[in-house]
Amino acid sequence: MPAERAGYTVTMFLVDVSSSMGNVRTLEVESSDGETHTVEMTNLAWGLQYVKLKIQDMIFNNRKTEQCGVIIFGSEETKNVVNTANGGYENVVEYIPIGQPNASTMAKINALEASTTSGDHRLPFSQTGRYLASKKTWTRKIVIVTDGESPIEVEDWEATVQKMDSLNVSLTVVGIDFDDESFPYIEPGKSNIKAQNEKFYHTLTSSMQSGIVGTCAYAIQETTMPDVKQVRSALMGTVLRIGDVDARADEAVELSVKASKCNALQRPKGWKKFALREDKDEEMEEEEIDPDKTVFAQLRMRTEYYVDRNPEDDTDEDGDVKMKQEPGEDETLLESGEKDPDVQNLEKVEKEELVRGFKYGTTYAPCPDGQFPKLQTRKGIDICGFFPRKNFRRELSMGEIQYIWAEPTSPQQQVALSSIAQAMLEKECMAIARWVSRDGMDPKMGVLVPGEFEKVDCLLWSPMPFADDVRKYTFASLDHLVNKKGEVLTEHPYLPTKEQLEAMDNFVDAMDLMDAGEKDEEGNRTPWFNTLDSYSPAIHRVKQAMFHCAVVNDITTNPLPPPHPELLKYFEPPKKVLKRSKEPLEECKNIFKVKEIPKKVAKAKKDGHVHAQDEDDNMLLLDHKRPLGASASQMSIVENSISAAAKGKAPAEESETEDEEEEELLLNKKKATPPPKKGVPFPTPARSVSPHVDPGRAPGRIVGNTYPLKDFQKNISQGDVVTKAVEDLAAVIAEVIMKPLAARRTQEMLECMEALRRTCLEEDEIDAWNLDLKKKCSSKPGNPAFWEGVKEVGRDLSLISNQEAKKQGGKSDVTENEAGEFLS
Amino acid sequence: MPPYEDWNKIDEEEDEELQDASIYEMKRDVILFCIDCSESMLKLYDDPKYEDVQTCHLYTALEAAMQIQKKKIIVGPNDSVGILLFNTTRKSETTRTQGSEIKRNTFLFQPISPLSASTVQEVIQLLDAAREEPGELRKTFPPLTTGRVPMGDVFTSCNWVLRDGAPKTASKRVFLITDEDDPHPAAGSKQLITSARTTLIDLTQAGVAVEPFFISTEEKPFDVSNFYSSVLLPTNLGDEDELQEESSVLPESISISRIEDLLSQMRFHEVPKRSLFSIPFKLGDGFTIGIKGYGLVTEQKKGSYKYFVDLGDRMEVATVRTSYVDEDRQADIDKTKIVYGADLGAGGIADGDEDNEESSGTFGARVVKAGSRPFYTAEEIRSFRTLGLEPGIRLLGFKDRSELRFEDNVKHSQFIYPDEMSYSGSKRTFSALLQTMVKKGKIAIALALTRRNASPVFCALLPQEERNDETGWADPAGFHLIPLPFADDIRMAPIDEAFRASDELKASARAWIDKLVVKNGAYPPDSYPNPALAYHNAQLQASAFREQYDPDSFEDLTEPKVGSMHKRAGKLMKEWKTAIAEDDSASLVIPATTGSKRKADVSVDEAEIKSKYDSGALAKLRVDQLKEFLKSKGQNISGKKAELVERVSDWFDAH
Repeated sequence: MPAERAGYTVTMFLVDVSSSMGNVRTLEVESSDGETHTVEMTNLAWGLQYVKLKIQDMIFNNRKTEQCGVIIFGSEETKNVVNTANGGYENVVEYIPIGQPNASTMAKINALEASTTSGDHRLPFSQTGRYLASKKTWTRKIVIVTDGESPIEVEDWEATVQKMDSLNVSLTVVGIDFDDESFPYIEPGKSNIKAQNEKFYHTLTSSMQSGIVGTCAYAIQETTMPDVKQVRSALMGTVLRIGDVDARADEAVELSVKASKCNALQRPKGWKKFALREDKDEEMEEEEIDPDKTVFAQLRMRTEYYVDRNPEDDTDEDGDVKMKQEPGEDETLLESGEKDPDVQNLEKVEKEELVRGFKYGTTYAPCPDGQFPKLQTRKGIDICGFFPRKNFRRELSMGEIQYIWAEPTSPQQQVALSSIAQAMLEKECMAIARWVSRDGMDPKMGVLVPGEFEKVDCLLWSPMPFADDVRKYTFASLDHLVNKKGEVLTEHPYLPTKEQLEAMDNFVDAMDLMDAGEKDEEGNRTPWFNTLDSYSPAIHRVKQAMFHCAVVNDITTNPLPPPHPELLKYFEPPKKVLKRSKEPLEECKNIFKVKEIPKKVAKAKKDGHVHAQDEDDNMLLLDHKRPLGASASQMSIVENSISAAAKGKAPAEESETEDEEEEELLLNKKKATPPPKKGVPFPTPARSVSPHVDPGRAPGRIVGNTYPLKDFQKNISQGDVVTKAVEDLAAVIAEVIMKPLAARRTQEMLECMEALRRTCLEEDEIDAWNLDLKKKCSSKPGNPAFWEGVKEVGRDLSLISNQEAKKQGGKSDVTENEAGEFLS
Repeated sequence: MPPYEDWNKIDEEEDEELQDASIYEMKRDVILFCIDCSESMLKLYDDPKYEDVQTCHLYTALEAAMQIQKKKIIVGPNDSVGILLFNTTRKSETTRTQGSEIKRNTFLFQPISPLSASTVQEVIQLLDAAREEPGELRKTFPPLTTGRVPMGDVFTSCNWVLRDGAPKTASKRVFLITDEDDPHPAAGSKQLITSARTTLIDLTQAGVAVEPFFISTEEKPFDVSNFYSSVLLPTNLGDEDELQEESSVLPESISISRIEDLLSQMRFHEVPKRSLFSIPFKLGDGFTIGIKGYGLVTEQKKGSYKYFVDLGDRMEVATVRTSYVDEDRQADIDKTKIVYGADLGAGGIADGDEDNEESSGTFGARVVKAGSRPFYTAEEIRSFRTLGLEPGIRLLGFKDRSELRFEDNVKHSQFIYPDEMSYSGSKRTFSALLQTMVKKGKIAIALALTRRNASPVFCALLPQEERNDETGWADPAGFHLIPLPFADDIRMAPIDEAFRASDELKASARAWIDKLVVKNGAYPPDSYPNPALAYHNAQLQASAFREQYDPDSFEDLTEPKVGSMHKRAGKLMKEWKTAIAEDDSASLVIPATTGSKRKADVSVDEAEIKSKYDSGALAKLRVDQLKEFLKSKGQNISGKKAELVERVSDWFDAH
């Protein structure tokens, strides 16, 4: 069956707005953190959530060929074509004509309220049919949302069914509190009318070719079910060449083939940016300000170009064209809030004045077209050779896979491709091929393997890396360790012991998924985890979130519900496997003794130096330059395990003696702490000194509130997280000084600020310091007492001026005077 | 790279991808080539590649340095390189403003500076001169004839040069190139060794890694144990050098090679090894080890162009600033105030009723009750993407190796290696896991979130054993982390039935395929440099050097070697072609698909079209017939009839 034609769907929503729809119900709402609270809303609002979710789906896909309209019935007014022309169809309003939905559609739906009328009504099917008939080739759908509390005229419904079937219309009835035994939901104390109506709807839908009744709760839940839109990949024509088709055409082969995508990476849809309009502006004359409303405006991106005409850097002595730093770096700086290009000597330039070019190191390489002439290439797939399939390195596969089919209209071409695919399958080989997708496009290298299908032969293409794409990093061997004498070691804490290997063997067996899945038709267990059932959590969660915020008006009171369980089903190993692996896991934990190493304590660099000089020649140099904490912990691990190994498996014995073998390895034997008892495997000094103090780190922070300075210095000494550390320490200081009893920590915080400023200056985080200081200074209520303390320190905690910055090779937009005055 | 107008815009959709690349761009790399310039390095011998040309080790070393410069300048335009020579009597000119004076008998040929065309050209010119006149290098850098400069002095000089020239945050490396395995044989060497080691430690303390490239020849084999083993560290134990920049210990591998291999050895070290992520790997509850991830295969793209402003005397890169504006108000919005929501949808439904206040908001705005917030904060949307997971890899279980299918691939893999410094015992656990999985022929399935702002993906962990090949390259031991496609990414096969070959035809195809199979071959990435990239870079270099580029000089190594293919299998291919032409299928016509609309019969025999072509009567065919034919040949089918006719005849001309 061909996949449903994407789009070309028109949906008419028939919404019941009779007075009973205005009844208020209480709904349990679960937020994503699992908490539940209750929300009150009318039946109408609840039912409309379904409508809105469906419409949001259309807005989300943004297809011109997915349209909808809304007709309400049970309203006070009457406004429809039939009525205008011939009368009848009272209390039916064509609320939203058919068209592509957008935000205003949503707004209109939000404005719907239940009427005060109740009583008979005739379902406006023929009305609807009239509209839908105008979209001849489209898939037509009717969705009714009703509570079924109002009597309906049911005469002639057979004719309606016929009419609808002839138009190929599908009908979905979403009933508020309709009974559904499989969901399961049974409404207690159902009214007679409703019971009859429900029965009618069931009869109606079941007599139609395509009709369904569902209860609202279930319908809403199902909208969050991850669904995968089957995309039929387009077949792109190309040719498969073997040999030289130009000069040796008699021997060379050219097959006409079609390529289509086998998989294509999908990404979550991008978010649009909005911002709250602050209505206090006086430029708002023409628009009325409604104090009860808040306006969020969609934002557009604007790109502007600036040039620094007087970079303070001196020019290169070679007289070379000297350029500024990467724009990327400035960008982040600019974006970080303070937008004042003038201060940075930046001058705005119009895009028209700019010329394109490349950077060759610091040299300008002109290239006004934005690209150089491209390599001349010819469309097609060229086979370069074959190699045995077993030598294929799966990890080199670079990207999305494509099918290569023979021309669907030519049996001869199909047979030709089939013969190649079958021969390759038989030979167990793969082809190396070069693919040019269009004339003049950059070539790609890849491999072709025969695809295995029941009734058709094809090839599969995977792109492979060029020489430029492969990075060769060297890694130390995991199992080949050599000591200083050049001897190969067989025992070392890095090497797993026989017992450890056994434990791992059991663990791997227990965690096997090959029989952990569902049973197939023959009752055999299938493997657990199938890519065809694994939905992208990011895509579907983001989609759910987008839908949610489109249909509710306040996130705070109506938070996003938890993800659909289907999305999380592969997040943990299956229960069966977890149960089975419980013991092997315990065994592994006990025997491998993996321990998290606490973050290092920084040690002044100088110490390492002195230390090194004292060492005698026997020592390995390996570890002594590491900061104390880590090396100490490392060493004791080494020592302990070695002695354990050397002693064999002698249980619980003191291992204070070390034999000569160890000496080679022990990095720092004489200074190392005495080996601990075996029962206590890793009492590393670093751990035991301050074992269980909560560092007070807020999630995501690397600097905690408890020992901010220590955490900070630790991080700085590691070097790679400077920006984050600076940011976090600044935040921590702000938090601490705003807490009660801040006075106790004033001195400590001042020290922190000094350290922070010093680091900012040295590590080129000058702007971070300046911005942060300005911000804090102006923050209210603030801690005036603390600020007095800061002022006392004075200049040394003030803004960083350009003069200071320059000494450290950085720059700042604050002058020396400003810096001096800032805190006075 | 297409010349998009808005190339510099940050594409929101690609946030994730951008992150990936930025890891490499963020940090600058500094390399100081430290080349021995002694007698033996300058000793001339016949060039093995070119006739009647003399060369020397120094020449080769400088050439390698130049090649690395050329590569670096394109891959990392912000990286810095310098060249220091030692054992030469040439004095540093004091005119150079930069830095402190360095030790005697060391000479700073090129100070550490960001690369530019002129720095590269300077080396090229020197090399060209040396080609012309082999004594040139000796003249330029007169060797120290009496004794050798203490290695300690060399390291000290390196330290000073790097201190003066290298940015603080950059990764700094010294490529030490020498052929002398025993620089200090005489008495008093103890002293010199100690000082060499001390100064080397100083260097490491300053965050500099020394990567030695020792040249070994038959006459003068290089024995590390003479001197360097007591100065440098043993190779294997304690490879933690990548762990902390500041604790960067000595190199894990000392490269000793023939002079000819110097460049290829350097290539291995060209890019500083940087991990992409360092996260916990949870094998089970309470059983977690530390791992680091590396990108061993990543698509290398052409650099993107930049916008320049002509300031008269120089070209300046324009700074790009993006901001977000509320168009109605023309007001810049502070980044922290931005909230995120779904697309409001394009216009469509006619805005029929005026009585509806709610819809009065202008396009691109949403009106809600005061105090309500229908949008998410940046923090919230990030948690949607990650589903609240913290970065890490969660083991889900094991499957047979054969379950990892060829087609389950959407992205390049990453490589993981244990990180002993975050969890002690990681190495042995990792090693045990690796060995067990290799033994059992298993892969692991895992859920991975490698960075905080990435999306969770299911991955296959493919174990790789350590393997040495003859070129001295070792495949490291570790796991390849292969992202698996989601159901959302997978597309169904659009064709499920077609004609298939008979056994005879298969055998006929097999005959020529057999001839074209490279036994024990595999896909060789190294033999295929990206031609488009190389072509681009060659032109970029010419443009920077202000030279004319000659496109004819370019050789595309990825083109199939058709000559040898025909030689080996030409005849068999011809036989196969004949067999296909004679096959029954040749006379078959696919029955027209039963569609709702009946299409005119467009199936035209190729032979018929050929005959029309031969008689010059192509124009007699209908447009749909022409199109059908072109389509079957994978040609463009747009245009007027005349164009189609022309295209068909072009096709026959070419075939």
